[in-house]
Amino acid sequence: MEAMTAAASTKIPVPLAGDDRAGKYLAFQLGKEEYAIRVLKVREIIGVQEITTVPQTPDYIRGVFNLRGKVIPVVDLQRKFGFATTENNARTCIVVVEVASGGRIMLMGILVDAVSEVRNIAAGDIEDTPDFGRDVSVPYLLGVAKTKGQVNLLLDIDSALQTHEVEVLSSMAVS
Amino acid sequence: MMPGPDVEAEGWQEFLGDLKQLAEAQGRADVSRLASEYLAEGEASLPDMQQQLVRLQKACEGRPAPPAALSQDPELVRDFIMESREHLQNIERSMLAIENDPNDVESIHGTFRAFHTIKGLAGFLEFAVIQEVAHEVETLLDMARNHQIELTGATVDVILASADHLNQQLNPLEKTLLGEPAPDAPEPHELLSQIRSILRGDNPAAAVEPAVEAEPESTTAEPMVTDTAVPAITLPAAPELAFPMADEPVAALPPVAKPAAPVSATTPAAPPAPPKPTAPVEIRAAETKPEAKAPAVTKAPAANAAPNASGGSMSSVKVDTGKLDYLVDMVGELVIAQSLVRHNPDLVALKNPSLMRTISQLGRITDEVQKTAMSMRMVPLETLFQKMIRLVRDLSRKAGKQIEMDIAGEDTELDRNIVEALADPLMHMVRNSIDHGIETSTQRAATDKPPVAKVKLHAAHQAGYIMITVGDDGRGMDRRKILAKARERGLVENGDNLSDNDVFNLIFEPGFSTAEQVTDISGRGVGMDVVKRQIQKLRGRIEIVSVLGKGTEFTLKVPLTLAIIDGLIVGVGEERYIVPIFAIKEMLRPTAEMISTVEGRAEIALIRGRVLPVVRLYRRFGVEPKSQDPEQSLIIIAEARGRDFCLVVDDLIGKQEVVIKSLGDGIRPVPGIAGGAILGDGRVGLILDMNGVFSADQGTYDGANRAA
Repeated sequence: MEAMTAAASTKIPVPLAGDDRAGKYLAFQLGKEEYAIRVLKVREIIGVQEITTVPQTPDYIRGVFNLRGKVIPVVDLQRKFGFATTENNARTCIVVVEVASGGRIMLMGILVDAVSEVRNIAAGDIEDTPDFGRDVSVPYLLGVAKTKGQVNLLLDIDSALQTHEVEVLSSMAVS
Repeated sequence: MMPGPDVEAEGWQEFLGDLKQLAEAQGRADVSRLASEYLAEGEASLPDMQQQLVRLQKACEGRPAPPAALSQDPELVRDFIMESREHLQNIERSMLAIENDPNDVESIHGTFRAFHTIKGLAGFLEFAVIQEVAHEVETLLDMARNHQIELTGATVDVILASADHLNQQLNPLEKTLLGEPAPDAPEPHELLSQIRSILRGDNPAAAVEPAVEAEPESTTAEPMVTDTAVPAITLPAAPELAFPMADEPVAALPPVAKPAAPVSATTPAAPPAPPKPTAPVEIRAAETKPEAKAPAVTKAPAANAAPNASGGSMSSVKVDTGKLDYLVDMVGELVIAQSLVRHNPDLVALKNPSLMRTISQLGRITDEVQKTAMSMRMVPLETLFQKMIRLVRDLSRKAGKQIEMDIAGEDTELDRNIVEALADPLMHMVRNSIDHGIETSTQRAATDKPPVAKVKLHAAHQAGYIMITVGDDGRGMDRRKILAKARERGLVENGDNLSDNDVFNLIFEPGFSTAEQVTDISGRGVGMDVVKRQIQKLRGRIEIVSVLGKGTEFTLKVPLTLAIIDGLIVGVGEERYIVPIFAIKEMLRPTAEMISTVEGRAEIALIRGRVLPVVRLYRRFGVEPKSQDPEQSLIIIAEARGRDFCLVVDDLIGKQEVVIKSLGDGIRPVPGIAGGAILGDGRVGLILDMNGVFSADQGTYDGANRAA
């Protein structure tokens, strides 16, 4: 327990009394895995919209869609993480999340196979991401939570959606 | 805390004594009482004294004491900058009017008031240099309105230069406000000595004694005294007191030297003195004129500044442009949503007359809302034209050409972003007209032209566009010489069959505007490629009409707003793209023999004798087309980077006005795509950027894509 909080405080600069990863999470499915993101990051959940593909973007960017007059990009996390993509079905939906980018908040959609529920995850249920050895790196995970016998992968949505794009944008700026 | 506090204290005691006498002489018992009270507390420490003096100042002005460092309040400084800029614009306009008609009393008064307000505001905020320059010009204008001096060319020059100078003084303030590194403000000394030499009737005998400062005042009429004495009592007191006594003098130091500037300007050798010399000296100057009524003196800045500020807020509200942009954006969406409802097949099928009436009512209201929202971002072209008038005036003097401006439509309104973006192109064009278009007066005389040349600047609305005409009655452009030059540079093969417009358009070629071109062709050139690029960025067009020997006219056609474009919706396979109509020159269905390949890769099309490069949009964007057969597709001849090219798409779907939206920060900019827009069915359509579509460097982007 001690080791865990120490690790947490190195990840997140302001350590709280308990584990600051605890709180309300939205659980959703990607393929066969169950992920969860902080509820505070979620703007809304909508059914699959007509998505316009944008040429010359990485394949995990599915395209853009119209959210009440705003143009919002949609990211396919399964492709981004390198899974096999599941076909859209009746439960597929878009979770619109707020991502902090360079001091600004931007909206992005993530395509998920199904939204499960909002879970209250207590500090005691959270474990650090296990070390999978050198070859497996999981930079987007905050930790792993066990609730009701299920494993939820706690996703750091800011870094999952951002790191790559920031790199690309800065390389664009150089060129 | 600081060196020699005793010396400072003595200085202020003396000042207080003077003030007390003055107040008594003018029957201001309250001020005099306060002054003697503070004098009695002669032992008081400096910070106490500072507070007392601020209170005293409050008593003098009859209004609340300002906080110690007003210049640190970003709100006040921002307002000051905005208001001063407005005044400076008015000053410029008035001065140009005065130059045409030196007896234009209204303009002289207007200019005087504007400088006076700037002076008052600057004094309030402790911007000593601005205050001083404004003060000197004000003195000059006061003499002018009392017919003591003539507002002739040189004087007008100085006043305009002062306005420019003040504008430059505002720049560092603005930069600091934005948190950017501020450039050094220009030195006012040269300007001030120019003004003062005019004030002394061009007598260069420089005054050395600070007391002489007051001389022009003593020789002029009474109202003068009122105005010039104002800062002496109310304004310099604050900075000079506040700074030496502040706990941290470092931050406040620079301005300390500046209040002393009136002295050091005339006597550069004088050290930037402790506060003592300036204020008491000027006080005494005022004191020698007992006829100057104290109440009039002290209330002047407040009375002048206040109506101005409140007058502005009554007729208009200042709104954050970001909010305005968002409103316009949302209204654009409202219009689209409204049209979605109106054309919804289910609703139409209902054939319910009352529903139809309501829907058409909704449509009318939406139209009105859209018009109003758009108009809120519109500003008149007046300020832009004003700049041009000034430019013509300055350039014509420099070039020694007599030029008359022919201005029309300066009240035409358009999106403020576009007004700003038009400033550079217009400046280049006007400059070209004067430099190269208009002949020298001897040349004009030789061709029986009136000696005074004309530069025309007209603006008018035309079907959702604004037309701006910049013309001159100069020598015109010589088609033959331009063509000869173009052949020499290899820009055209033969070119004899080119239309006049095509030939004249060659001057926009980058590099065509060389020095020898200007002299050889006696035409235009410099900066024209800049003009062309900027106008294209605004999605506008330029047309040239030129008659050799008679003159040249450029007509700029730019959209009223950047937020909405007219687009053609084209289909490629399953995808739909929006092609901005301004980029389209022609559309046609090709025949098989039109298109041929070059080295098996690149394609060209032969259309009415012209060879144009071909870009197949489906290949460019990697989508599956309906058909690869050119005969089943559509060719759009569009312009990119100044060249025409053929864009192959599947078919034409329709035409729609769309609101341009960014694809968001989440997606890096894609070459060839200018943004997105919501189409009639609610889907997002991608707006093509023709320059990007045509760009040759698409390979590098693909590479970046893969590397990522």
